[in-house]
Amino acid sequence: MALLLRRAGGRVLAAVLILLVAGFILGPLIWLGMHAFATSWTYPNLLPDGLTLEWWRVVFADPDLFASMRNTLFFAPLTVLVSAVVCLPAAYAFSRFSFPGRRVFLVGLFATNAFPKMGLFVSMATVFYGLNLMETALGILVVHVIGTVVFMTWIPAAAFASVPRSLEEAARDAGAGRFRVFFTVTLPLALPGILVAAVMSFLASFDEAQGTYLIGAPTYMTMPTEMYSLVLNFPKQVAAVFAILLSIPSVVLLLLTRKHIMGGQLAEGFQLR
Amino acid sequence: MTDRVAAAADPAPAAAESRAEVDVRPARAVLRADRRRSAVGFSMALPPVLLIMLFVGLPVVLAIGFSLGMTGGLNSVAAAIGQDVYEAEGLVTFDAYRQLFADPRFTRDLAATVLVTVATTLITLGLAIGIAVHLRLRGGWAGTLLSSLGVVPLFVPVVIASWAILTFYSGDGFLRSVFAQLGLEGPTFGFTVPGVIIASVWVNLPFALLMASSGMQGVPDALIDAARDAGASTLTIVARVLAPLAGIPLVIAATFTAIGVLGQFTVPYFTGPNAPQQLGVDISKYFQAFNRPQQAAAIAVVVFLVASGVAALYVWANFRSAKDEGRV
Repeated sequence: MALLLRRAGGRVLAAVLILLVAGFILGPLIWLGMHAFATSWTYPNLLPDGLTLEWWRVVFADPDLFASMRNTLFFAPLTVLVSAVVCLPAAYAFSRFSFPGRRVFLVGLFATNAFPKMGLFVSMATVFYGLNLMETALGILVVHVIGTVVFMTWIPAAAFASVPRSLEEAARDAGAGRFRVFFTVTLPLALPGILVAAVMSFLASFDEAQGTYLIGAPTYMTMPTEMYSLVLNFPKQVAAVFAILLSIPSVVLLLLTRKHIMGGQLAEGFQLR
Repeated sequence: MTDRVAAAADPAPAAAESRAEVDVRPARAVLRADRRRSAVGFSMALPPVLLIMLFVGLPVVLAIGFSLGMTGGLNSVAAAIGQDVYEAEGLVTFDAYRQLFADPRFTRDLAATVLVTVATTLITLGLAIGIAVHLRLRGGWAGTLLSSLGVVPLFVPVVIASWAILTFYSGDGFLRSVFAQLGLEGPTFGFTVPGVIIASVWVNLPFALLMASSGMQGVPDALIDAARDAGASTLTIVARVLAPLAGIPLVIAATFTAIGVLGQFTVPYFTGPNAPQQLGVDISKYFQAFNRPQQAAAIAVVVFLVASGVAALYVWANFRSAKDEGRV
């Protein structure tokens, strides 16, 4: 009886916990999402006064907002690509070679996170003025890539390290060359980790607002930087529509890569070796 | 010194040694091959390091120098435009810091930032551990659902998250609407310090949750069963078995959360009050609105120092785990 009671208590506790977490996590998103379709909203009603798609028309008709979407969809994939080219060889080196400075490099790449971003961008601007990178696409690209370096080195490094050496050696013994071993054995096995790193980098670039604003505005506005001014200058509903649009790529990525990220690829990548 | 330790921890030289035993090549050739491998590895690792050194390292050094009154070189433009710029007579001057710490608004903001950081880290970790324990001990659909929910914020841009949370908890937001429906006066968290904490927890939960659950999935079933057979309660199992064995991932989660919250801008910019303000917002305010670039740099350095202390904890924990596993 006592056991039964305890078990029922556990059930109730679990249900309450789920409700609380769901409300905490999803509540704000749903509340915001509902605003995108609302004509107006009267406090303290829990539902809007009426439904409309008018605000979506406003967003798509505004050339500035549309341009910012284009910019974002240009910078995010490019950032991932550049970051991969720069960082993936390093990730492989961190996992497979021993060389002087290896650990200092790894920790150094992480230590960049300790300096507050806002302060970094402010003094980054001094360097950018010197290099004529202010208000250039290249400057924004640098800002975005900087934010992805930790993901693109650490997570793939852990993925490469988890590929058993014996498999590579077996392939070598069977007569495969160094590059053939890498492309047919190592890379496919490390791919989930690289995928997670790419997704994290994409999101980081997609999310970057402060640096982009400081370096790129007003020539280059991306969706997050546009979001700052939207919130202040437009009705709540327009910002809500924009927020939904801004979330779509992320949600798609979430659905595609959930398994790998939950599977520990991300967590694995942040344990220093 | 650390490099030698790292080299010893790395399996690569060990593999090379074992190969050397069966190898008929003279030792010098093996040594040369090792040296070449090491050179190849070093040059492959170089590009991101150079990128970071140029675009993060250099600006950070410039900012630290500027905050200490070194107004020459690349800093001269900011020094010429800015107000209240202190120039070092000798090597350095601490006047910018002195002025900052003499301002009660700054010390108040610093205290608020540390408070938000500590509270956010504790709550985030508590939530993450709770969900991870549920997933580890009970599992089932409830555990999966909880952990899936907890990862959602990872995929929501911070700008949107901050704004969504602001509207949810604002004066005419959902929370107050629900209370009003019941004829009660609900709390307003929009533009308050608790609001910043709520939003920070929201944003930082996924990473902590992933670290915690990965750490706890690694604890063998046999240990948990043994503890349970010995009559341990769930609470004891969590405190004595799960949490200690998942210690390193938890420390990593805590340090990343703390460092992120210390310097964050977007979350407090949207959800926070004007006073006390978080230091991340102060930096931009001093730089843009007050036109005091040197003080902005000094605030950044103060945040950097606090964050470095936290980061040191992270590196220490990692080294200790490496030692425990015999990798060092």
